[in-house]
Order: sequence, then structure tokens, then C-alpha cells
Amino acid sequence: MNIIIKRSKTMAKQIWPSVLAIFFALLLSGFLLFATGHNPLRAYARLFDGAFGNLNRFAETLVKTIPILIIALGTSVAFKCKLWNIGGNGQYTVGAIAAVAVAVYVPLPYFIRIPLSLVASIVAGMIIGGGVGLLRAKMNANEVITTLMFNYIIMYFLSWLVNGPMMDPEGFGFPQTQLIPDQMKLQSIIPGTRLHFGLFLALIIVVVAFIFWKTRTGFRISLVGESHEVAQASGVSVQKHIVLTMMISAALPAIAGWIDVFGIHGRLQENLPGELGTIAIVVALLGGLNPIGIVFASLFFSALVVGGSTMQRFEGVPYSLVGIIQGLVIVFVICRVVYEEFKEKRRVKQLVH
Amino acid sequence: MYLLWIELSRVGTMFNFMTEKAIKEAGKVIEKPLVQMIQIKKTFSGIPANDCVDFTLKEGSVHGLLGENGAGKTTLMNILFGLYEPDSGKVLIKGEPVKIHSPLDAMNLKIGMVHQHFMLVKTLTVTENIMLGIKSTRTPFLDTRMIRNRIIELSGKYGLDIDPDAKIWQLSVGQQQRVEILTAIFKGADILILDEPTAVLTPGESEDLFSILRELRNSGIGIILISHKLEEILAIADEVTILRNGVKTGETLVTPSTTKQELTRMMVGRDVLFNFTGKDVNIGKECLSLDHLCAIDDRGVQVLQDVSFSIKDGEILGLAGVDGNGQKELCQILTGLRKTTGGTIHLYDQDLLTMTPKQCIDNKIFHIPEDRQKSGLIMDWDVQKNLILKNYDSKSISGRFCLSEQRIGEQADTMIQEYNIKTPGREEVVKKLSGGNQQKIILAREMEGDPELLIASHPTRGLDIGAMEYVRQRILDQKANGAAILLVSADLEEIFQLSDRIAVIYNGRIMGIVSPDAGISKIGMLMAGIMETENVGVDA
Amino acid sequence: MSNNLYIDFMISLLAGTIRISIPILLPALGQIYTQRSGILNLGVEGIMIIGALSGFVGAFFTGSLWFGVFSAVVAGLLFSLIMGFLSITIKANQVIAGTALTILGTSLASFLYRVIFGIRKLPPIIDSFPSLNFLGLSKIPVIGPIFFNHNILVYLALFLVFFTWFVLEKTTFGLKVKAVGEFPRAADSKGIRVGLIRYICVAIGGMYAGLGGAFMSIGYMDTYMDHMIAGRGFIAVSVVIFSRWDPKRALFAALLFGGANVLQMRLQSIGVNIPNQFLLALPYVLTILVLVGVSKKVAFPSAFTIPYSRNSK
Repeated sequence: MNIIIKRSKTMAKQIWPSVLAIFFALLLSGFLLFATGHNPLRAYARLFDGAFGNLNRFAETLVKTIPILIIALGTSVAFKCKLWNIGGNGQYTVGAIAAVAVAVYVPLPYFIRIPLSLVASIVAGMIIGGGVGLLRAKMNANEVITTLMFNYIIMYFLSWLVNGPMMDPEGFGFPQTQLIPDQMKLQSIIPGTRLHFGLFLALIIVVVAFIFWKTRTGFRISLVGESHEVAQASGVSVQKHIVLTMMISAALPAIAGWIDVFGIHGRLQENLPGELGTIAIVVALLGGLNPIGIVFASLFFSALVVGGSTMQRFEGVPYSLVGIIQGLVIVFVICRVVYEEFKEKRRVKQLVH
Repeated sequence: MYLLWIELSRVGTMFNFMTEKAIKEAGKVIEKPLVQMIQIKKTFSGIPANDCVDFTLKEGSVHGLLGENGAGKTTLMNILFGLYEPDSGKVLIKGEPVKIHSPLDAMNLKIGMVHQHFMLVKTLTVTENIMLGIKSTRTPFLDTRMIRNRIIELSGKYGLDIDPDAKIWQLSVGQQQRVEILTAIFKGADILILDEPTAVLTPGESEDLFSILRELRNSGIGIILISHKLEEILAIADEVTILRNGVKTGETLVTPSTTKQELTRMMVGRDVLFNFTGKDVNIGKECLSLDHLCAIDDRGVQVLQDVSFSIKDGEILGLAGVDGNGQKELCQILTGLRKTTGGTIHLYDQDLLTMTPKQCIDNKIFHIPEDRQKSGLIMDWDVQKNLILKNYDSKSISGRFCLSEQRIGEQADTMIQEYNIKTPGREEVVKKLSGGNQQKIILAREMEGDPELLIASHPTRGLDIGAMEYVRQRILDQKANGAAILLVSADLEEIFQLSDRIAVIYNGRIMGIVSPDAGISKIGMLMAGIMETENVGVDA
Repeated sequence: MSNNLYIDFMISLLAGTIRISIPILLPALGQIYTQRSGILNLGVEGIMIIGALSGFVGAFFTGSLWFGVFSAVVAGLLFSLIMGFLSITIKANQVIAGTALTILGTSLASFLYRVIFGIRKLPPIIDSFPSLNFLGLSKIPVIGPIFFNHNILVYLALFLVFFTWFVLEKTTFGLKVKAVGEFPRAADSKGIRVGLIRYICVAIGGMYAGLGGAFMSIGYMDTYMDHMIAGRGFIAVSVVIFSRWDPKRALFAALLFGGANVLQMRLQSIGVNIPNQFLLALPYVLTILVLVGVSKKVAFPSAFTIPYSRNSK
């Protein structure tokens, strides 16, 4: 009993700053709305309604949550190791490319083709991540820059594929691939909505991530993240774990790409991930790098994205407000340090007097 | 007893001091002291580092500030230099009350400080480093030529021998220290603070430093010498202030009749009488043997050359030497963290050179690292997680897939009790513990693995006397358990207390392996790189 | 005839290279200060788009291009102060802070543009800086159109290469910047205010980036578009690393990256049959190669990305 209370107390302590950050971000954006002649309350109400207003909208929010959640989990693995993987977009894209390539071009029975395509996606992600990890571990090439560059390179690669070799021959010249066979698509959970079985896969990944941090490998990765020197002295190979971390961190976005192809898109198009990768960075941070926290953070951000377009349609508030809220949320999450330092100072003062 | 050789040199210089002092005191009536610090208080996260400390520095004198590591000496001087602000208390410079908020304020008051870790930018030249702290006459442009000439002039005047165009990283430690001193004088400092200046020097370099300091004192500069070495204070200081645990415990003139016992009592609050048990242990078969080991450091410079020695079970080999003579690299090699360029190492019959760091641990080589905060502990983690760093994957901690939180907790509770670690609980973050208790965490972790070979690098550096005694006793306990121990230390007292044999390392070479009976002067010579005459021809 | 075509092609290629490398060069020069002082600012992209918008708005409403430049520089400075606050005062992780700044800048610029100009069928347009003629120097065959047929901002940027080098190597401020990035504690002990110097460097970086953004909107494109910066801020960051924090090498690097981009456009326009995506991706591949090439050798400023705190014992 006591343990449960203690746990929930520490949980609350961890969640509190994120909740505060969201509140302040909404407040400040509200001022911006007000100053530009909008009614912030109505805009936010519309935003909320757009995200949760009825079963259909809620399902749509959940559909959007799935990739954000999984990419953010991947990002958080790297962040825990103090590696700044900002290549979620590229890794998501290679996953999607591999998924479609297998689904469309490999003439095997579906029950083999589906798992095979998932494996292909994971492997594609791991290759990209492993490459970045190797460059970092062996050549000391800053992973921030390499993952960022890979985002652009892969984006153009996708553009080439859908305009060239993988273009749908019956697509009237649209830059897109063929649809994957209907039988391969993930089934809908709630008929009439787009919410598909990928949700369960996402939840399984959350559970696995939760357990992962209690395993030896998880422990080693967080040890490497804290100090290379101590990790080495403890017999942990820093280089190996940097590569491993990047592989795991990139495999998850690739899975997200697979899920989205089989769950909603059904084909490849240009610029598939949009701004998922950037959102995932913010979500990972907002969720405190904790799997459970990331679930809630990704739900919130997905609601912003889904509700944001409703808000633009009905209230005439530019969609970019969503980005402003996102940016402000990070700023305020970062700023909580100031608050904590202030608290610490007060504590010390009380000790002195 | 074994510090006799330094004693002797002191007596020689003391004569000069006396006459100079007499002349000065006759010439002046009442002079205002250069520095007066009154009732200084400074607290770090609730723990007082300085508690109502008074301090006075007179003109043209060397004032020793004596105390154990962690006694608050450096904190007090950082306050004087504006790096910290005191919680309360007053500072007077030349009789005027002042507020020193930053080093800039301090420098404007003509206070210069030579830090223990040099405050020099390694990639810049001597001239550039000195220009950093000086307002250029051609602001906003640099006045390189003028500064350079002045450096040459000053360097000649005080015999500092500094090349103004050398990049800092090209200079030896002793030269870098002289650059620091030059920087201070350049700005016309008449108050010079030196923080443990001899910690990084060989005895010979220390003597050179002392003669420079005397030169400076004679030209009217007041010098504050932070130190925890008694003999140093006796050799050069005119007056001494003693701190213990942040409190001033004494102030006295240094006269030829001042004794070390007197100072020690004020420093540690009692006579230090280490009395260890377990020194007489049967020495067993050979555990570790090194044969003509060679290695290069990260810059590709040869750091170890033909190092050969062996350690037997139940034996402590002391490795004495001034820091930076290859000890660090040797420890890295022995724990599998660094490659060699030649020679062999065997642990019993196994080739140690092919082992990964992990295999070294599995073969029960454990290491108490030199810099415990950087390479021994994760400061942001709690006690229990720091205790499992070496055995997290053993059956005692880890199940089939996951680490067992319950077993981590149980192990922590046992070790906290057994090693008397003072902590509010196993979930306390390590950075909130004292240095002694941090070191105990490392001891617990490294010693519970039942080491075959234990490498202890500066195991008591920065600890208070109590913790020091505890650590040394624990090391002897391991010896009694039959572990082979390599004790790396710059503290000769420690080396002499614990070692069965003493190897001296200088410039990457073993200068000799001697028994503790050989005496301090012999070790001192070897540490300074001086071989005995008959060996000079062999030295290639 | 083919010879004439070839010369025309080369002229347009080289002249285009110079023009297109300016919006990479300007932020890169600014980031040299910032990174030398120990701060990696990934928010350049966001600062540039803010600069592009402010420059355009300033010029659009006052009719003065120079007022546009002024407002872009001021906006860049103010916006970069957020980065300064987060990374220096709060000591936050610089990657996160930079990402925040990029998201915030991109969205804010887009939002404000919509608020200011509403939704239009045709975007608002201004006349951007005209080409200078330099007393007819531009009439010199070949050389003229390549080097002497640009607008004043191009020459300003080239002057800033020299200016940046001079400040870093010949002034007391430059020396302080290097010390702060290399060993902040030493700089502090010599009475240099580490935080202040870093703030100034971030602010200078912001001003240069704002100017770079303005170059896009009022020196190159005649208008503002949401995605007009298109990763140039990020390229600038890698240009700085490629050039090992040296302004002269940064000029060379910016020309290289710009050149690859122009080549792809020109080849496409004359119908050379290479999939254009590969040419578009080329600068990014080059960046990785260059990064890998230099990373092993280059010693980053020792205090790179590490916040400085005096009281940490």
C-alpha cells in the first residue's frame, strides 16, 4: 500500500512541471490569440472539440497518437543515452518505404508477407540508426547533424522513388506508389472510424519500453548516458552501446512508419512524415523520457494537431498556432529549472536560519 | 623523521628571513595590513565551509593558510578573490572595507591568484593569455607587441624564463605555474594568493618556486600560501593561519622554534597516530607481473617506458610519484581501458593485455579510481544504483531479464551498514553525500567483489582524517584477505604506512623499487628523477 | 554556338553560386561567434525565418529596404536572446533549446504573416535590392556578370567575412570569445564575464541570421514564403563546423554548398537527365561527408555545448 502511495507521489511530482508548462503555454498563446482579435476560449474549446468531441474525432486523435507515441519512445531511448537523435522523420520514412516495398513487390502469401514487411521496416531503421551510431562512435561525428542531414537525404530519396522506380503505373502520373493489397491492411477496431489495430501494437511497445529500462541493457544504456568514463570503468563498451542505442532509437520510428502505411496511408507519397519527427522530440521531453509520461504527452500533442485543423477551419485561427504552443511548451518545460533552483535556494535559506 | 631533507633546507633559508624581518620591523611603526578578513561565513547547501573565520595578511610577508583538504582554505581565498560571495563577514584591503563581487573587482584591488588548476587557455599563447586579463591600451584592438615586450622584461627581472610566444599546452607544469605568477605580477598585484602550488611540482621545482616567492616578497608583495604540507609552511612562511572544518583554530608567527607537532595539533585537533593492524601478512604467489611495458598517451607521447614490476598475493606495492608521470595511464592499462605499445602483463597465468575491461572485472581486478566524482560515481544517481555498477549483471542482482529492485535494495542496505556509509537512505543522491562517504561507496563496491588485484589510486585524496584512517584500514584488510594491491599515491606518508615495497615512477619509468626502510630522502631523489650515480651510465 | 552557350551557362552558374551562398554564409558567420563561445544554436533556422518576415514587413510598410534590413537584424537579435536565456541563464540542453526556437520561429512567422497580410490570392510583393553596377564594371565580359552584378547585400556579406575574421583575431573581444569557449573558468578568473560574452555572441549570431533571413525575402525573392529558409539555417551550422570556425573557410564552404544547389538547378534547366532529387540531396550528403572528415581531427572548442556555472564546485 505504502509503496503505491509513494509511487504515485513521485509520479505526481514528475508530472506536475509538464502540466504547468502546458498551462503557461496555453495561457501565453491565449494572449497572442486575444491580441490578434480571436477569442482564445472559443478557439481552445473548438480545438478540444475537434480532438475529443465525438467518437470519430477521438478515434482520429488516437490514430495520430500512434506514430507520435512510437517515434517519441524511440527518441527517448537516445535521449536517455544523451544522444540527440533528431532524425525521427527520416527513420519513419525508411520504415514506410521498406513496408511498401515488401507489401507491393514480394509475391509471398500474406501471412508471410506481413511479418516480413515489419521485419524489413525494422531492419531499415536499424541500418540508418546503426550508421549514425557508428559515425558517432568511431568518427565522433555529431549525431545531431548527421540525423538532421539524413532527414533531408531520405526525404529526397522518397521523392525520387515515388516519382521514379516505385511510381504507380496506373496513377496518372501522381507522385505516389500503388496501394498495398487490401487484405494486408490493419483492420479497424471501431467500424466506421480509421482507428486500427496498430493501437495495440503501440501499447505493446509502451509495455516493452517500460520493461526495457529495468533490463541489463536498459541499465547499461542509461549508464553510458550518464558518464562514458564510469561506464567504461564498469566494463560497459561505450561505442557498442552508442551504436545499439541508435539502432533501437531508429527502429521504433521505422515501426511507426510501417504502422502508418498499413493502418492509414496504404501507399507512399512525398513528404510522408510531415512534422512528426519534430513533434516527437518535444513529446519525449514533455513526457520526461518516461514511457508512461510519453503516452500522455503524445495524446496531448496529437490532440493539438487534430484539433488545430478544426480550429483553423471554424475559427479562422492559423494552424501555426499549434506550433507556437508546442514551442512554448518546451520553453516552459526547460524553464522549470529556474523554479526548482528557486525552491532549492529557499530550502537552503531555511536551513541556515 | 623522513622529512628531514626538507627540514635541512629550511634551516638554511631561515637565517635570511630573520635578518630581513628585523630590518623591516625596525623601519616601520604601525602599518595597515594588506588584507583583513573578519568573521567570514560561507555555506554550501547547508554545510558551512567557512564559519566566522578571521584572516590577516601583512605587507611583504608570506602567510601560510594551513589545513586539511576540505578545511575551507580554498573557499576562504575564493571569497577574497571574488569567486564566491560570503554569506556574511567583512573584507578590508589596506584598511578600506571593500565588496569583492568578481575576480575583476579583486584584480582592481591588486589581488592576484594562482589556482591549483591553472587558469590558462591551453590553445592560446602566453602573451594572449596575459592579454586576456588586461585592459588593452588600444581597446578595442589588441596591443600584442607591447605586452610581449613587457613579458620579456618581467620574466627576466624575476628569473621566470618564459617564452611569450609559446602555446600553453607546449609548456611544462612548472612553466605554466610561472606564467600564472607572471600574469598576476603583470597587473601589478601586491597581494598574491597561491593555492597548493607545490602539489604538482617535483621537490626541485618546488625549491625554484620558493626562491621566486622570496624574490617577490622582498619586493614588497604579500603572499598567501594555501597548503596542507607542514614542511612547506615551515620552509617559507612568516606567519600561518590554521583552519579545521571551516573554523580557524590558530594563528602564529613561524619561528625556528615552531614545531610540526604544534601545527598538526591545530590542524587535526589531536596528534595523528595511525595505528594499523594487518600489516604482517604472509605474502603468497605472484599475482601480477609487468614486463617492459610501454605505452603512449592520447596525444601520442610516450608515457610509459619499460615498466617492470610484480605484486604477490597479500602484498601492497606502493607506486610513489608526482602526479602526471604515467600513473593514470598505468591504471588504465591494468583495468583494460588502454592499449599498450610493447611489453607484457600477466595476471597469474593469464595474459592481461587481451582482456576487455569487462573481462578484467570478471577476473576480479578492481579499481578505486583517482577522480572518484568523475570516473567512480554517477553523481546524479542514488546510493543503491552506484553500488551495483560492477555487479549489476550477476545473479545476486539481476534475474533472467530484469534487475531486481528488491535485491538492489537489500545489497545497498547491507553495504551501507557494513561500510558505515552515512546517508539518509539508499535512495539518496550521491552528490549530496560528503567526500568520505562517497569514497566509502566506491570501497564497498570494489571490495565486495573480493578482488584478486586491487588498484587504489590516491584512495585518501581530499578526505578528512577519520575517513582517511578508515580507508587505509580497509586496504590493509584486503591485504589480509590475500589480495595483491597496487597503491598509487603522491602522499608519501600513506605510501610509507601501507607499502611492503615502494616503486617510484618518474617520467614514465620505474626509477627503482625499494623497501620502506630506504628512507624518505632516497625516495625523494627518485621522485625527482635523480638516479644514483652508478646508474647514470645505464640510463638510456 | 555551343561554346557561347557553355560560357553563358558557366556565368549563370557562378553568379548564381555567389548569390545563393550568401544566405548560408551570413548565418554561418554569425554562428562562428556563437559556437566559438561554446554554444551550438540549432535555432538559426527559426531566427532566419523571423528575420525574413521582419525584413519583408519592414520594407513593405515603410517602402525602405534598409529599414527592412534594420528590422530583420533587430528581430534576429531579440529572438536569439531566447536562446541565450535558455542556454546561458537556465543552462538548458542546447539541442532542445534550439529545436524549441526553430519550432517557435517557424510557427510564429507563419502565424504573424497570416495575421498581418490575411489570406490573399497573390502574395504581397516588393522590389528587392537592385544589382549594383560599380561604374560599369559589370559590363566587363564574363568577370562582370559573375562578380559585379549583385545587390549590395552580397557585398556586405563578403565584407562581413573580413570583418568577422578581424574581430576574432585582432580585437580584445575576439580573444575573450575564444577563451570563453575553450576554458570558461579561466576566462572567469581573469575577470571576463562568461555569461555576458556568450550572450553577446548569441546575439551577434542572431543579428547575422536575421540579416541572412532578410536576404532571402528582400534581397533574393521579392516576397515572403513560409518555407523559404528551407534548411539553410541547419546548413549554416554544418558550414561552421566544416570551416573549423574560420570565417575565410566559411566563405569557401558556403560557396561549395551553394554551388551544388545551383548546379542541380542549372543542369535541370538545360535538361541534363539526372534525377533532380539526387542533386538536391547532394549538399546534405556532402555535409555528412565533410562532418565525418573533420570530426576526427577537429578539436571542438573544449567547452562546446557545456553550460558554465561559477558556483558548481
